[in-house]
Amino acid sequence: MIHFISKRLKHSLILLFMASVVCFTLVVSAPGNVAVLIAELRGAVATPGYVEQVEEEIGLNKPLLMRYVDWLGDAVRGDFGISYRTGQDVSADLANRMLVTGTLIAGSAVIATLISLALGFLGAFWPYKLPDRVSRGLALLGASTPTFFVGALMIYAFSVTFQLLPSFGFAGPKSWILPWLTIAVLPAAVLSRVVRVGLEEAMTSPFVLTAKSKGLGRTAILFREALPNITPIFVNALGTQVGLMTATAIIVEPLFAWQGVGDYFLAGVRFRDFMVVQACLLIFLTFFIVVNLVVDLAVLMTDPRIRRQWS
Amino acid sequence: MNMLNPILARLNKMPRAALITIGLFVALGTFAPWLAPQDPSAQNLLDAGLGPSAAHWLGTDHLGRDTFSRLIIAANTSLVSVGSVLGVAMTIGILLGTIAGYHRGWVDDLLMRVVDVGLSVPSLIISLAVIGIVGPGYWTMVLALALAWWPMSGRISRAVAVSIMSKPHIEALRVLGASPWRIYFGHLLPGTIGSVMVYATADAGTAALAVATLSFLGLGIQPPTPEWGQMLVDALPYLESDPRQVLLPGFALTMAVIGFNTLGESIALNRIPKPLTRRMLAMRRAEVASWSKENSDA
Repeated sequence: MIHFISKRLKHSLILLFMASVVCFTLVVSAPGNVAVLIAELRGAVATPGYVEQVEEEIGLNKPLLMRYVDWLGDAVRGDFGISYRTGQDVSADLANRMLVTGTLIAGSAVIATLISLALGFLGAFWPYKLPDRVSRGLALLGASTPTFFVGALMIYAFSVTFQLLPSFGFAGPKSWILPWLTIAVLPAAVLSRVVRVGLEEAMTSPFVLTAKSKGLGRTAILFREALPNITPIFVNALGTQVGLMTATAIIVEPLFAWQGVGDYFLAGVRFRDFMVVQACLLIFLTFFIVVNLVVDLAVLMTDPRIRRQWS
Repeated sequence: MNMLNPILARLNKMPRAALITIGLFVALGTFAPWLAPQDPSAQNLLDAGLGPSAAHWLGTDHLGRDTFSRLIIAANTSLVSVGSVLGVAMTIGILLGTIAGYHRGWVDDLLMRVVDVGLSVPSLIISLAVIGIVGPGYWTMVLALALAWWPMSGRISRAVAVSIMSKPHIEALRVLGASPWRIYFGHLLPGTIGSVMVYATADAGTAALAVATLSFLGLGIQPPTPEWGQMLVDALPYLESDPRQVLLPGFALTMAVIGFNTLGESIALNRIPKPLTRRMLAMRRAEVASWSKENSDA
């Protein structure tokens, strides 16, 4: 087990290193001279002499490898440099935004888990009957509706027509509900199929036959025998979906006028603010790698078969 | 007619509703310039925000442009961009996939590692990063989405290429002294392209969604070219007074995506047995009946 964890940690560290190289090369290979940009940002005329001075100052004239080491050292300590557009510290901007996006994703993950388990069990309880068809139809609809359209529909239904919830900005705990639901729709749809198919497969296993012969009812078998069996698959799929939620957050945050990492990333892309793009990209990639690591460890915890294999 | 029969038989096994939706989308997209009753970009501020009428079947938007015409032209925009994205992505994916499948060894390992990483990062984040570096624009969007999409076709074409390479006729060609070029271009590439194309249709829905999403974020198709995602974001400030302009493009896009997703699912699940529906029972009966007819002909 310790062997597995150490191997998995090593794997994640290699991935993290690759992610940092990708982020670094992206910005280094970007067209245009960064020193000129910064010189103009400071309100000075970008004379060759001044540009050289700026280059000296931020270390652009050093060899590429040295620049990478410097940059990585700063990034590990949480210093992502300054934004080319606003001149502000990127890390200071990011700190609060990471909390917002983190809460958005965590809340949506909980909602998606609850909805998908409910829909999946509904389908598995009455397979190929009406509830199963309804749950399947909802899953298809949820997986196919564009996220921004889901958001627009939510705003139209809950804020415009019924005026129950605020449509944008942060105003009290109520304003979390719509963004949470909007982000949760797609993962809930995908995960409900995972639950449904996993349960169906588990219900054909020999241990279910044993449980039936012991006289257990369908409900008891589903919850006591089949559910623990699909937990590893579900955790795995949930991890993938949580990773994908970062992409959904990029769409949902501007829709509800929220100030999160996604919104920051989008602004960086729009104004070609390379430092912001780089910092956000590194955060996203780190997030995927960490989520994958956590999922693998969680699968290890929930699946005795794998645990035994590695001990 | 006889040549068409196998194709028709294959189409018959796919969900009919999905085929009709996709057919409608492709037909609208192809013939949009002749089908749109009015100029989609003609503004008339006096007619802004109107409801449905004889002149404007689905009303007008906040600039007085005919919504019906814009929805139809948007199908064309969507179809063309999805086609070019998938075209570029499949070219990259098939080329790299077949090279990996032909060469094996470290080339295969390296390319598949790259594909794994590419598939694990959401396509929206990859394409946004590319746009952030290169700058927004139509061809940047196509390039960015293609860079996010090629790993899928890369993985499939590698799998197909590996299975082709292990077939006896490739071995026979080797024995006969065929050059690597002849094996690659004459046998491996044509065999792979056909199979990968089928899977590409399943991807078309998500590609259309991605184009619309980037346009919604203002980084894809630029106004005044109509596109569903961009029409939706354009009308969003007027959601309260004129919700129709938000709902119509949204529903159009959702319909197209549902069509492609259903088709993709039926392609992916083709070999999994499921309970017979009444339609399938009728089809089976018709088929069995035709067998006896064949025998009596002979």
